[in-house]
Amino acid sequence: MSFINNLINGISLGSVYAIIALGYTMVYGIAKMLNFAHGDIIMVGAYICFFVCSGAGLSPILGILAAVLVCTVLGIVIEQLAYKPLRQVTSLAVLITAIGVSYFLQNAAQLLWTSNPRIFPAIFGNGGVQLGGDLTIPYKTLVTIGACVIIMVALILFTGKTRTGKAMRACSEDKDAAQLMGININSTISLTFAIGSALAAIAGVLLCAAYPKLIPTTGSMPGIKAFTAAVFGGIGSIPGAFLGGILLGVIEIFSSAYLSTELANAIVFLVLIVILLVKPTGLLGKKISEKV
Amino acid sequence: MLKVDKINVYYEKIHAIKDVSFEVNPGEVVALIGANGAGKTTTLHTITGLIRPESGQITYSDGEGGQLDLTKMPPHKMVAKGLAHVPEGRRIFLQMTVLENLEMGAFCKGKASKEDLDNVFARFPRLEERKKQIAGTLSGGEQQMLAMGRALMSHPKLLMLDEPSMGLSPILVEQIFDIIAELHKSGTTILLVEQNAEMALQIADRAYVLESGHVVMTGTGAELAASEEIRKAYLGG
Repeated sequence: MSFINNLINGISLGSVYAIIALGYTMVYGIAKMLNFAHGDIIMVGAYICFFVCSGAGLSPILGILAAVLVCTVLGIVIEQLAYKPLRQVTSLAVLITAIGVSYFLQNAAQLLWTSNPRIFPAIFGNGGVQLGGDLTIPYKTLVTIGACVIIMVALILFTGKTRTGKAMRACSEDKDAAQLMGININSTISLTFAIGSALAAIAGVLLCAAYPKLIPTTGSMPGIKAFTAAVFGGIGSIPGAFLGGILLGVIEIFSSAYLSTELANAIVFLVLIVILLVKPTGLLGKKISEKV
Repeated sequence: MLKVDKINVYYEKIHAIKDVSFEVNPGEVVALIGANGAGKTTTLHTITGLIRPESGQITYSDGEGGQLDLTKMPPHKMVAKGLAHVPEGRRIFLQMTVLENLEMGAFCKGKASKEDLDNVFARFPRLEERKKQIAGTLSGGEQQMLAMGRALMSHPKLLMLDEPSMGLSPILVEQIFDIIAELHKSGTTILLVEQNAEMALQIADRAYVLESGHVVMTGTGAELAASEEIRKAYLGG
């Protein structure tokens, strides 16, 4: 029974990683940059939801909506102020800027909200669904896994079926050619940051629903792990981010349950290294040969 | 229709285009010929705003009275004005299907209409057979057809083709040039950039010869094809 429990916990944690990884992978796909501040958007989302629910005592739905709204705007503003002026420079400069933005957000959170931990409220209740025996699946776990599946399906439909989604894929492949088709690159990049940051807000709420201790660095480790998950699944690929996230979560929970709690993170990264040695493009990474 | 007036373009310190001027009148096929590195592609990129000139004017009139200053217009707004650019190396979206590529061609129109798709498929039947296929799996000739079909989806008034013959077998080159001639007959104005001077001069009403960023010669297609210098430099004697 505890195996099933661990599996469900792993999938649930993996779902959070997957939602974060989807944001990483979309931004990477379009803007060709690793937005290392992505993890800290998660933290901002969680704080906003915390203040709306615990501080103002409003409903969790409002808390989530507020978090999504604030993070979407924050994502667009960060892109405009920090990354857009660097479109033409080396990717290394952009990477360093992203790390700078990450520290900026953490320090701003410390200044605004102090580094005293806050206990995130149980916004999905404490109950669960009884599955016979001593197996109970908490509501928060069901919500997390459900949200992840819905988000992934929605993103696949969006990029595969809608005009804007297809334009996004065109941009990710060839920006000059996309412009010649009449696609506005700047607004496409803004939209990508908006979607990624909105997902980060949701991930922040789900993460803190499962692990309620909220501090200004709450987002950084999950952010790095989700980045790992995105690379693991094949960066730029939406199903890859999903698969990478889930696998990472399951590996992490199993390692800490059966091998060693202390070494769980090390094992996660070890698996990543092995996978990348065998398949450098990640599990679902695309490699397409160009014909002349 | 298109007037390029004394443009100068730099890549950092390199002066790539020097005082280049030329014109394309409605209904013409105008060719820009020249060797590798002469500045042909740079000229086209400057017209569609992918590179901006240091000085000079580029004006375009869409035939509806408007005179547009292309040096100030964002590239993504040009296609809606009837200016389509088929870039060097086709630059189709390799990971998208043939149909999706065509839909992107009609992006400025909103949705791709059935009628426009049928028109493109009538001109390029191979594309219809392969419309569900990922574009990266097409052969070179099919990719060129897709790049041209994609541009046609936007109903261009001025179609700019950059090296459409590049990397294609002689039979496919003939085929592509037949299609260019048909497009011209159906009323599309064409600006053709080619290294294959022989084919380009056969089809062009007028042509300009570029050499290290300068226009060194101009005349009708037939005049240039008959010129001694051109024969020596570009037509193999």
